Amino acid sequence: MKSIFSQIWVVILMNIQSMPRRFWMSFAATLAVSVVVAVLLSFLSMSNGFMKTLEGAGSDETAIVTRSGSKSELNSVLSNDIVNIITTADGIAKNAYGAPIYSPELYVVVDGIKRSTQTEANLPMRGISAVGFSLRGNVEILEGRMFHEGTNEIIAGASIQREFSGFELGTKVRFGKTEWEVVGIFSTGGSAFEGELWTDARTLQSQFRRGNSFQTVRVQLAEPGNIDGLLKKVEEDPRLMLDVETEADFFKGQGDALSGMVILGWVLSFVMGLGALAGALNTMYTSVSSREQEIATLRAIGFSNISAFFGTLSESLVISLIGGVIGALISFVFMDGLSTSTMGAGFTQVVFTFKLSPALFQNGIILALGIGLIGGFFPALRAARLPVVLAFRGGQ
Amino acid sequence: MSDLFLIYKNLTRKPLRFFLTLFSIFIAFTIYGTLAAFETAFNAGVELSADDRLVSVNKINFTQPLPISYVRKVETIEGIDSVVHMNWFGGYYQDPKAQVLTFAVDEKKLVEVYGDDLIIEPQHHEAWQKNRQGILVGRAVARQYGWKLGDRIPLNSNIFSKDDGSTAWEFDIEGIYTGSDPQVDTNSVYIHYQYFNETQSFGGDFIGWMGIKTKDPALNEQVIKEIDDMFTNSQYETETVPEKVFNKGFLEQLGNISLMITSVVFAAFFIILVIVGFSMVLSVRERTAEIGVMKTLGFRSDRIFRMVLGESIMLTFAGGLLGLAMATLFLDFLNHVPQFPVPDIILKPSIILQALGVMALLGFITGIIPAVSALRLNIITALSRR
Repeated sequence: MKSIFSQIWVVILMNIQSMPRRFWMSFAATLAVSVVVAVLLSFLSMSNGFMKTLEGAGSDETAIVTRSGSKSELNSVLSNDIVNIITTADGIAKNAYGAPIYSPELYVVVDGIKRSTQTEANLPMRGISAVGFSLRGNVEILEGRMFHEGTNEIIAGASIQREFSGFELGTKVRFGKTEWEVVGIFSTGGSAFEGELWTDARTLQSQFRRGNSFQTVRVQLAEPGNIDGLLKKVEEDPRLMLDVETEADFFKGQGDALSGMVILGWVLSFVMGLGALAGALNTMYTSVSSREQEIATLRAIGFSNISAFFGTLSESLVISLIGGVIGALISFVFMDGLSTSTMGAGFTQVVFTFKLSPALFQNGIILALGIGLIGGFFPALRAARLPVVLAFRGGQ
Repeated sequence: MSDLFLIYKNLTRKPLRFFLTLFSIFIAFTIYGTLAAFETAFNAGVELSADDRLVSVNKINFTQPLPISYVRKVETIEGIDSVVHMNWFGGYYQDPKAQVLTFAVDEKKLVEVYGDDLIIEPQHHEAWQKNRQGILVGRAVARQYGWKLGDRIPLNSNIFSKDDGSTAWEFDIEGIYTGSDPQVDTNSVYIHYQYFNETQSFGGDFIGWMGIKTKDPALNEQVIKEIDDMFTNSQYETETVPEKVFNKGFLEQLGNISLMITSVVFAAFFIILVIVGFSMVLSVRERTAEIGVMKTLGFRSDRIFRMVLGESIMLTFAGGLLGLAMATLFLDFLNHVPQFPVPDIILKPSIILQALGVMALLGFITGIIPAVSALRLNIITALSRR
């Protein structure tokens, strides 16, 4: 038994050590596998980054109330009366004076110029209050200062700075007849809120002629994840036609928008993988045929055909593994951290960065090894079946 | 023995390798054909947009409303043929995920402005105009949900609610329109603005934007200036742009999909180039002695050069044409899936021509190195190199 393993080991080493002799063919197969893996990981890291950005925005301790069926903040409308009623529900955290902690917010869309294409793009502008800041926990003013309530002042998220022009610190922007000044740049630790413009909710109401209406209410939950009190209130009061979700669930629902990209990425890389597989098979058959005599000689001096099989198979696996790692590195270097933006569920731009993760990396390596396994299996079978008599033929 | 026969024999001397190489070329062109067709379909909105049409939206952003009074004012401007106003209804059918692109429009003007794109039976068009609750449905939507002429269907809105509090409106399907070009998007449905405006519960008398048809594209610039000047310094300033510019801007909001597609196609080709290239070099090297024999027999060097190059070009064309055929079959299949909500995706002649060019180039690049080495091969070395 032991001898079989040592035989296999010897043949594997021989195969791998002889790879430089077939350098160019092996190189071609490695390259093919690496491109396939790089394409797969690019798609996966894009969708992953998008999801992470939105999930990072959602908190379990906050619930978001929207008009029933609206699905996005932009589509929702809540009158001030509705806001006052729903915030009397049970299960909302109270401040030191016993008042519920909530933030009614406005959400309008304004034009910004996308840096990459120099075209207009929909940017979300949020009317918010001091409570709204506290509900998001990690808001930090990076430059400038906070806006003053009651004035046309805006603070712009850090992602806005990166992807869109026209909102630099100190610039004045016109929305219709009104003029606004960017007085600060804020960060929320990379979450989706960073791709927004924030201003005072009351000012936004009057300047955009929204009367006393809002679009959403965020409430701080007394108990993280527990929205039963709010749901009960909605059920009991016929005036309330509202959807209540934890903020985490709300954003998770919107993070699925690019899930089609995951499918597309897998389909494309699978089809391209078939092409790479053809390359791997080509390489390995060539490898076997160039080593026919060597393999047959080994068999003649007593090596088993199992060792010939594993020798060829492991050569293929090594090639594909190297290809997989190179592909993953390519996508890590060129894709990971790449910032871009797309139209999100709210009809507005969501700025996000491509994010590679160990789990995605694993997917890439599995795909590469899959190609290597199949690409090596059939040539390995041929190697195992080579007649011993070949060893005694001269020439060839 | 003709050269072609020799090329064929050389190609298939190792059937397995021939098949594998052919297969990888086939894969590359299947991807190429399919993605290129998708890209055309995706950009069709820009390509098909008419030169004599403008879009006028609120200057802040196109999601902000305009007062309905603007329509009458704009209509008086010299050089304008017709104006249709539209509202985004935010419609969905039964499930909020099943979005239906629903527009509340001025039913009398829709065809005046967009008639070049939409084909409707005259009697259906008339019936739709007469029925307040009538709805004009695109062929693609009708197919997707199995709607037929005369059906009464409910559409919900994720933005508006009716004055009775519900979000469901009922409509009669009075007409199903098709596109004048297979690439025209028939995923939209049109409802009466009046019906929508009178039954929704908040913010009446506002429109989303105006579609404008000018008498002559040459007048566009002047008309645009006149419209936007008219509303400068008002509560609702407008921004008017040619339809092409608007559609392009809208697509670019989605992010750079074209770039993504192009890079995948490029990557796929790169793989194939490498694989085919190396196996060509290999197969010629294996035949060194044979080429030596041929030269000895009196085959001229340039003839051998042509044969080797011809071999790789034949290979890429065989694989490439099969790949395009596969892409055509696949797209045809997609176009017959009722749930697939896009306009017909087709391989346009320009894509095919481009693909043929790429095949020739691929064949040339992969064949030129082995061909040159075969050309230069010295008989003595060839026969002694074993």
